[in-house]
Amino acid sequence: MNRDGCLALVGLRALESLGIRSVVHGFSDLAVESFGSFREFRPVADKADAFVVSADVFVGNIDYFMPRKSKTVIVGGDLGREENAFTSQMIFPDSDEAEINAVLKNLISSLGEEEIVPGELSQREKEVLRLIASGKINKEIADDLCISVNTVITHRKNLSAKLGIKSASGLSLYALMNGLI
Amino acid sequence: MAIFNKESKLADVVLSNPQLIPVVNRLGVSLGVGDSSIGSICANADIDSDFFLSVVNTFLDKDYFPVNPRGAFSLDKTVEYLEKTSRFYQMVQLPNIERHFNSLLARSGKENNLVLLQKFFIEMKNQLAECLLYETETFFPALKAGKINVDKERLVAGYAEVEEKLHDLLYFFVVHLRGDYDCNLCMAVVSAIFSLEKDFCQNNRIRNRILFPKMDEMMCNGNVGLE
Repeated sequence: MNRDGCLALVGLRALESLGIRSVVHGFSDLAVESFGSFREFRPVADKADAFVVSADVFVGNIDYFMPRKSKTVIVGGDLGREENAFTSQMIFPDSDEAEINAVLKNLISSLGEEEIVPGELSQREKEVLRLIASGKINKEIADDLCISVNTVITHRKNLSAKLGIKSASGLSLYALMNGLI
Repeated sequence: MAIFNKESKLADVVLSNPQLIPVVNRLGVSLGVGDSSIGSICANADIDSDFFLSVVNTFLDKDYFPVNPRGAFSLDKTVEYLEKTSRFYQMVQLPNIERHFNSLLARSGKENNLVLLQKFFIEMKNQLAECLLYETETFFPALKAGKINVDKERLVAGYAEVEEKLHDLLYFFVVHLRGDYDCNLCMAVVSAIFSLEKDFCQNNRIRNRILFPKMDEMMCNGNVGLE
């Protein structure tokens, strides 16, 4: 799977997959890969940046997709538009071309925004957390990890948002309590 | 959130917001307020009712901004109020939390993470004490001596860190507390920290919305000293 922006189509019919691939490539060169089922998709799931999935796949794997709902579009389903809270992220059987384009463009444009999954820390965030706990300042953390200070600041913001902890001392205490240091 | 005025009955205001009790005490009003309005109580006790209302409304409503924060009342009243607040933290609230915390540790088992939380509390308490010391022994005396350009950034940064730590301490209790502990004493500790956090954050708003704008205006006017 291409690492620089991948859209995973999961559990869609062949015609739906071909149609969505064609629409996406009309405005983006994003790599698009199809998977017949969630089981097929799961081993490479961490490499996908966005998802277009059938309603059945979404419902059957709600624990996986709910935390990633802002990066997910659902195709089909029995719920009517008026009954559905995710209308702006759905493609209905009667959606017209403009509507499908708008939903997919919205999805692709959101790819630059980092998804914050509560409580789930990435490997990099854990590294930043360990360095915060060791008492290092942003510049030292940036030098240690060969990243920019702005990236360190972004990681710190994400750590605070995910863990609900605001202070550096609080983050250190969290690291200590959770065996990260 | 309702904005109170001189016609509001103080008893009603306090009954619906009991967290105001230490605030009105610091402003010079003791409990047993009777049936009178804020305007009447302030007039009888020789308290500036505009200042009283600004403090109460700023305390209760995070979006409230005094109509005329720089002109309606004097710097000395604000300083006096904040000095009383510092004494209340140092003599009542912090020792109260510490006492409850020690009892909680003494009455709880060993298999918990309370010692770590107490260590975090002590770190927060020491930082708060340091800020309060700077404020009462350096910052306020400088203001009283007419040195309006005294370093307020040190206070702003220090208090912001204390606010974060108070938030985190509560968060650790609510989300990350593990093991055996005495529930009643734990509730007493959390309630006392919650009360301090609320009071502290609201008094920070009073600094930011009343004290510092007043200082800035005096700086601009080249005016020095407390009136």
